[in-house]
Amino acid sequence: MLVLKLDEKVHWNWFLIFLPVWIFDAILLLMLVVKMAGRCKPGYDPRNGSQDLRKKAWYLVAMLLKLAFCLTLCARLEQLTEIKLTIVCIPLWALLIGAMAELGYNIFPDRRD
Amino acid sequence: MLFSLRELVQWLGFATFELFLHLGALLAFSVLVALHLDLQAMSWWLVFVPLFAADGLSTYFTAIVSIRLYQEGERRQAVLRLLWVLTVLSLKLVCEVLLCQKLAEQNQARDLWFGLIVSPLFILLQLLMIRACRVN
Repeated sequence: MLVLKLDEKVHWNWFLIFLPVWIFDAILLLMLVVKMAGRCKPGYDPRNGSQDLRKKAWYLVAMLLKLAFCLTLCARLEQLTEIKLTIVCIPLWALLIGAMAELGYNIFPDRRD
Repeated sequence: MLFSLRELVQWLGFATFELFLHLGALLAFSVLVALHLDLQAMSWWLVFVPLFAADGLSTYFTAIVSIRLYQEGERRQAVLRLLWVLTVLSLKLVCEVLLCQKLAEQNQARDLWFGLIVSPLFILLQLLMIRACRVN
């Protein structure tokens, strides 16, 4: 769809071009929310998952950052707003820095313990 | 999220450090694209330098790892890793160079349509789908 739009074979709305991204993000967000809500079930032992919850919270933030980037990018491409691309990219940069920090933590693990 | 880091490394065939390198390059590239489009400060070839540099460094890293694997007697693994990473990096590089050429010379590169530019990525996605079936 992106290629067709860029080659000017179709003249669809940019929000429609991003439809597969919205569907994928919605499924992922739903999965994350369901998993996090599973902690509220009666009988769940909170001692075995504090690290896990932090990770899931980061994933949720990452998804929201990606969603914010895609939405502002679409709005800019559709000329609904006149914001600078530097501002549009801020959520993407935050997401990439976070992902790099997580990868860096895996490459150079903390040796305090 | 969907995959653990171990599964991701196994699927993509890149080491964690290489993924870190490519993410860093993507970050620098996105900053340069934003600066280029907002300020018109530099040429498109300069904007693409982080991606080219990451590809070069990744090739160097893979060559070293493959040579060491070969010396340690893991010949099959060394050759397979080298072939896979070189295929992925060359497809990525072709796509980047074509895109850069299209953006830098928009009037002269009218015949270069986006379907052609993205075709290496389509091949790469097919290869990754096949590899996903093999890994799991």
